[in-house]
Amino acid sequence: MEQRASPWRIAVNASAVAILIFLILPSLIIIPISFGNANEIVFPPEGFSLILFRRFFNEPGWVESAWLSFRVALWATAIAVCLGVPAAYALARGRFPGKRVIALFLLSPIMIPHVVIALALFVYFFQIHLSDGMLRLICAHVVATLPFVIVTSHAGIRNIDPVLEQAATVMGAPRVLVLRRVTIPLLYPSIISGALFAFLISFDEIVISWFISKAGYTPLPVKMFSSIKWEVSPVLASISTMLTILSVVIAVIVVLILRKQSDREGAGRS
Amino acid sequence: MTPELREQVRIAAFAAPATLFMLVMFAVPLGDVFLQSISTKTGAGFSLAAYAKILNTPLFTRVAYTTIEICIGSTIYAFILAYPIAYFLAKQPPARRSFCMILILVPFWTSSLVKSFAFTVILGHAGVVNDLLGAFDVGPVKMLYNRIGVTVGMSHFLIPFMVFPILANLLGQPPELAKAAAMMGAGKLRTFLRVTFPLSLPGVVAGALLVFILSLGFYIVPALLGSRHDVMLSQLVDFYAREILDWPMASAIAVVLTGVAVIAAVLLSQVRGGASILSKEAR
Repeated sequence: MEQRASPWRIAVNASAVAILIFLILPSLIIIPISFGNANEIVFPPEGFSLILFRRFFNEPGWVESAWLSFRVALWATAIAVCLGVPAAYALARGRFPGKRVIALFLLSPIMIPHVVIALALFVYFFQIHLSDGMLRLICAHVVATLPFVIVTSHAGIRNIDPVLEQAATVMGAPRVLVLRRVTIPLLYPSIISGALFAFLISFDEIVISWFISKAGYTPLPVKMFSSIKWEVSPVLASISTMLTILSVVIAVIVVLILRKQSDREGAGRS
Repeated sequence: MTPELREQVRIAAFAAPATLFMLVMFAVPLGDVFLQSISTKTGAGFSLAAYAKILNTPLFTRVAYTTIEICIGSTIYAFILAYPIAYFLAKQPPARRSFCMILILVPFWTSSLVKSFAFTVILGHAGVVNDLLGAFDVGPVKMLYNRIGVTVGMSHFLIPFMVFPILANLLGQPPELAKAAAMMGAGKLRTFLRVTFPLSLPGVVAGALLVFILSLGFYIVPALLGSRHDVMLSQLVDFYAREILDWPMASAIAVVLTGVAVIAAVLLSQVRGGASILSKEAR
């Protein structure tokens, strides 16, 4: 193929690069602002200081909210993985009747607007008198994250050659042993990326939490939402920077895991 | 019971805990919303009063119209902005493609709050865009707390969801087709318009439906970047549920919202490549 720069190629590349910059700009623009030394939101910032980060740790409420979100995300992820990975196994390996219905049902929260789930849980928690602030958030976040764990681990199980499991079974290993020694070790990359995905979704979840969170149990996104809506505190810049770094770290880890996985598959094929 | 059947029951049992949890925490609450929407305010008997009421409430019809307008607009803008990226990525060698993927995955995984907050800085009265425009003696243009802010914020959010299905389609096209068109004398633009683009339409339709479904439920972006003229149905659900405390009304709106999303999802499952977005079962 000719590699000469045709007008078509230049036009495509230029517009793609411009749009990529537009995509990444909001994530990046906050970082310099958060290191500014002014107590207001300005770009470009003047000077350099950590004053906004210090305010995050000193102002009441922020650290408590972040800590709550962290604990909720950890619990929700753990539960979603424990429920989701076996379900994905059943959906990938089973041929039982009703499988498609169950798959559709378990994945449906992806397609239903979060505000509908939020309203449903808001009314439901009221009716069943579930008033524990922490438990409300964890249950709701499992609903929101479970489909993503199932999708990721389902794709992972599909990539494992069933022959490996059959070989172990033929050699007399009981199912539990096959799962523990063959399936799950091969599945680790998918479980880890699914878990990271679930953790981030829970940590950032806002609409459902906004409906169901109780006084004294304000997750970080809910506190941020009120802050952006009512006062636009500059502390938001430092929180946003930390959240962006968290997203970047998780995105890079997942890309590396997926790349390693596809390398291995590529090597297996050749 | 045959051994094969017993084996299948054992495998199916692995899905039981998740199914049970989702029945209790998802199906029952959602069914309850549906029941709320067809019950009278006192809770006795069934009635379609809530649906009749929303249709006769100017607030609902206006907000529904705004929602459709914003959703279709953002879907179109997301398509216009996503296609060049997908096309560009499809042409890159794998190493550079995965680097560019990070540029898409980072905003994709960034909290919508962070992005909305960033847009208040970018689009604000003394924001970055107005600074740039000011250098050319233009503006300041009001881009925040109006339709422009909502559309920019939503399109930005939706672009990655549009890129993925289009990119998957473009990567799945046999490269020989474009080569054959070039050998027969078609220019690059002509090859694109007559071969690549028409073949990519299933990916485009899948992406557009997915993005439309997602845009229906937007709450954060219109709440933070829009004005009271840009209120969307999600915000109306919140308004009726928690400020007016009219649960049948809130539920009726939620049911309408879900209905539209489900119709779009069914259409999506009919599109080639769309089913695999809904569930990986299609493979």
